[in-house]
Amino acid sequence: MTKEERLKKRHKAEKRFRFYGLASIFFALLFVLILVNNIFSKGSSAFMKTAINVEVFFDPELIEIQNGATSDEILEADFYDIAIETLLKVYPAKTLDEENALIDLFTTDAEIEIKRVFLEDNTLIGKKINLDITASDDIDQLHKGNYPRDLPEDRRRISNFQLKIYDNLVENKKIIKNFNNYFFSNGDSRDPELAGIGGALVGSFYSIIICLLLAFPVAVLASIYLEEFAPKNKITDFIEININNLAAVPSIVYGLLALQILLATIQLPRSTPLVAGITLALMTLPRIIIPCRASLKAVPPSIREGALAIGASKFQSVFHHVVPLALPGTLSGTIIGLAQALGETAPLILIGMVAFVVDIPSTPIDPSSSLPVQVYLWSESAERGFVEKTSATIMMLLSFLIVMNFVAVYLRQKFEKRWN
Amino acid sequence: MSDIKIKSKNLNVYYGDKQALFDVNLELNEKEVTALIGPSGCGKSTFIRCINRMNDVIDICKVEGNIEIDGIEVNDKELDVVSLRERVGMVFQKPNPFPKSIYDNISYGPKIHGKGETKSELDEIVERSLKKAALWEEVKDRLDEPGTGLSGGQQQRLCIARAISVNPEVILMDEPCSALDPIATAKIEELIDELKKTYTIVIVTHSMAQAVRVSQKTGFFHLGKLIEVGKTEKIFKNPDNKMTQDYITGRFG
Amino acid sequence: MNFILIFLITIFSLSLFFYGRSKTKSISIQNNIKLNALPKFYGYYLVLWCSIPALVFLLVWSIFEPVIIKSIIIETAANQGAIFNDKNEANLIYEKIKAIHLGTFFGDIDSILKESAISYAKFINLFTNSKIVLIFGIIIASVIYSLKKIKNNNKARDDVELILKGLLFASSLIAILTTLGIIFSLLFESIKFFSVINIFDYLFGTNWSPQRAFVSDASAITAAEYEELKDAFGFIPLIAGTSFIAFIAMLVAVPIGLFSGIYMAEYASVKVRRLAKPIIEILAGIPTVVYGFFAALTVGPFFRQVGENLGLTVSSESALAAGLIMGIMIIPYISSLSDDVINSVPQSLRDGSYAIGATKSETIKQVVVPAALPGIIGSVLLAVSRAIGETMIVVMAAGLAANLTINPLESTTTITTQIVMILVGDQEFDSPKTQSAFALGLTLFVATLVLNYIAQRAVKKYREKYD
Repeated sequence: MTKEERLKKRHKAEKRFRFYGLASIFFALLFVLILVNNIFSKGSSAFMKTAINVEVFFDPELIEIQNGATSDEILEADFYDIAIETLLKVYPAKTLDEENALIDLFTTDAEIEIKRVFLEDNTLIGKKINLDITASDDIDQLHKGNYPRDLPEDRRRISNFQLKIYDNLVENKKIIKNFNNYFFSNGDSRDPELAGIGGALVGSFYSIIICLLLAFPVAVLASIYLEEFAPKNKITDFIEININNLAAVPSIVYGLLALQILLATIQLPRSTPLVAGITLALMTLPRIIIPCRASLKAVPPSIREGALAIGASKFQSVFHHVVPLALPGTLSGTIIGLAQALGETAPLILIGMVAFVVDIPSTPIDPSSSLPVQVYLWSESAERGFVEKTSATIMMLLSFLIVMNFVAVYLRQKFEKRWN
Repeated sequence: MSDIKIKSKNLNVYYGDKQALFDVNLELNEKEVTALIGPSGCGKSTFIRCINRMNDVIDICKVEGNIEIDGIEVNDKELDVVSLRERVGMVFQKPNPFPKSIYDNISYGPKIHGKGETKSELDEIVERSLKKAALWEEVKDRLDEPGTGLSGGQQQRLCIARAISVNPEVILMDEPCSALDPIATAKIEELIDELKKTYTIVIVTHSMAQAVRVSQKTGFFHLGKLIEVGKTEKIFKNPDNKMTQDYITGRFG
Repeated sequence: MNFILIFLITIFSLSLFFYGRSKTKSISIQNNIKLNALPKFYGYYLVLWCSIPALVFLLVWSIFEPVIIKSIIIETAANQGAIFNDKNEANLIYEKIKAIHLGTFFGDIDSILKESAISYAKFINLFTNSKIVLIFGIIIASVIYSLKKIKNNNKARDDVELILKGLLFASSLIAILTTLGIIFSLLFESIKFFSVINIFDYLFGTNWSPQRAFVSDASAITAAEYEELKDAFGFIPLIAGTSFIAFIAMLVAVPIGLFSGIYMAEYASVKVRRLAKPIIEILAGIPTVVYGFFAALTVGPFFRQVGENLGLTVSSESALAAGLIMGIMIIPYISSLSDDVINSVPQSLRDGSYAIGATKSETIKQVVVPAALPGIIGSVLLAVSRAIGETMIVVMAAGLAANLTINPLESTTTITTQIVMILVGDQEFDSPKTQSAFALGLTLFVATLVLNYIAQRAVKKYREKYD
């Protein structure tokens, strides 16, 4: 090979190498874009729900209570007949099968929705009103364009008759999309059109608060001890080794720990944000200690010495002077640790948060789910409707994480002093 | 008389906003040792790093002006820096052998430039370079040992051997002895005297005594400007410029 | 009840603070005594002594009370003639007793249950009363002690700071407590497991099918049942599946991670670096359940479809899909660490290589990366440790069948998947099946610990070279 050929080859190799580096970074970026696009395109439709506009006649002959009834009486009352009458009015159905098919176009909660209207205005007996009743999951997916209409009838869940009704409703503009408040206000449900993340949101919230309340003080106090007061001896070394190891233990092992000690030995209630919070706190502890120590270490000795020179005790020098300066980095690390805790799933599955929880938990010792566990649960379901709900839940989860990370970065950049 | 090997014309160098070299015009002769002296931070290292375009490695460094080696412009954008550095070698202030064996340290350069394909060719180059750097006898039985295991002086000679291995025409030395003890220093100065028979050498040094010992030509830098240049004897016995005189007599340093 | 107690303790401590502070102030003025510390510190001293012993006692008591009461009641119920064959039935009966006490039980209450409920109520009362009495006793004792110290004009600030330092030390001990907790939890059940299943059958068995592990009575396993069990808990297919998927993940993560790290450390301008580093960090911030969802819903079926078009049978839960997504998740672990490690290689080495006329890529390949190698290997080992401990991606995207296969187009299962599957179903305490999950957890814990140790040693050795 001549000298020129060799040089050319080497420069080509250089260009190739550089290209591989850039391509790798682009691959990462591309994946994030694909993932986000995939999730968002699947999930955005979940924020709307399909509803069918119907006319409700509160026939006094079909119901036992009267105008002016109390809330308790209304909740106890049976609105079933009114609901059936209302639904059957939507389209002419000749046989019992056709009637059932018609009723199946609506959510199983149709009666409750009608009841809810009456709860708000208990003078409606004898009157007629227009109401948007939530459609069934199949119709919801059909209206959002996620349903294969062209499959042969016996391989579909929606019959030809139902399709006819649907097309008729579309023509008469009786079928619309409303904001899906159920997604935020309801807990889990077997019916996708009624399923919501309300329970999971509250569960995650309680879990993270408990995690914060437990992990933050302990982590900060431990960091202060290790950085400022701990003597250099074997015990301190052992503590530090432990902390580093705990940061690298797989999360599922923490689940086993919680199962054995929190549930089996101490017998805290299963599936509750309390247990989840304690478990998450144990996991988050090292994740706060490490940035907190780094922030404490970064405060220059001159600050400490200055305080001591005025006659402050070591304690006062640390707590009044050093810790406040280390606070931005510590808070930043804490928020990031909490963000990681928010996304944890495996240990929460092990402590039982996979139970089917319909009610929104009112205290941290009520059984609940959490956002990532809800994603896991719904991803196991076969119904189409859950795909969009799961994706929408992921969108909510990612939004929280993005906000938390931004706040953490902002805190660090705005308030942290650079000491060189 | 020796021919001119390296010529700089109106050379200006900037580190960001700060100017490090002001309008340097300097000629260096072939197969001769030229010493560059002057107080710390006055641009000597910056100057020699221009010769082999090592300043390219520093992002904020900007070079303006001309440097020619054998008539070929070094600051030409089209110039292949990789080939340039094959012809111009460099030895640094602190010895920097690679974390490889002594053998691999020396064979690295030739392998890259395709100067030795077979094992026997490389063996020959390694032996030749180490002999020329006066290190062969000391290491010939332990070529597989890491280069970082040698003493300071030996490491520096290893770096010299490494620079020689690709057969350059010029060797730039940036205070090569400042990290070494007097005995190692003496060995290297002896070496330089031998090497000048084959290579053009430019040496930056803090020690005026060293400049007197090894060089034929000396240039005095101060605050980025080339104050005076001439035969070493003249510079040290009766320089033209008062500032040179002050520096030599130790009025400032 | 506990909240009331905590509230009372808090109120009492606070009032002691004000008392301590004002009393010391007035005494020092009256009797012209020089105080050894500011008055407020005497207050703090009282607060700490009043609250800490009581609260710690309350915490420990509350942790152990339920267990103790449970074992007492179950024993009394047994003595009264209740029959239960295993721990599950015992638990059921205990739950019934508790529910009767709370008034939420709506079944038939036989005499045994009725008696037990009465005993339960009795014991709850007894324990609660003892608790209150003991707490009062502790508070009174601590207050007397601390008041005496104050009367003797102790160096209050120093004492307070000593106590606080103790609190700080205790906080850092939590790390050790957690580790002990983990080891205890895992060992406790694993030992029970290994008393039934021979450890060699576990370590070297090639068949994993815990569903077959049916035992009628966990405390007395028949020989025939044991024969069945022996072959049900073989670990080999699990470690094979885990390693296989981790290997595929590394095939993806190492080249991409390493090249990204190299590019960011050596080539990228400040602007590109400022953009690229956070983007790669995003990959680490995405919850693994999201990765799992994407893998299960999109990637797995996609590969199956492509396979069909090419005439291959690809499972929708292929190891390839799970491994690919896991690899992407791991990229930042390798790229960040490699970036840091490569940045720490001294510039003098690079200068030496450039001065010889090497190109940048030659310098990186032949000088920089070999110099940074221990650190890079450390980062790879840490990534492997992360991969084998990963749960959600494989639970959602990999399979459940413990087959020994090296075909990436088939589905295979991992250690973590099995742990989840075993513990999510109906849990029977004390069955080898449940215990096996803990044995798996122990194996996983030990493996990741060893990998992390080696990785940290490698990074440490590297740091020693260049710092």
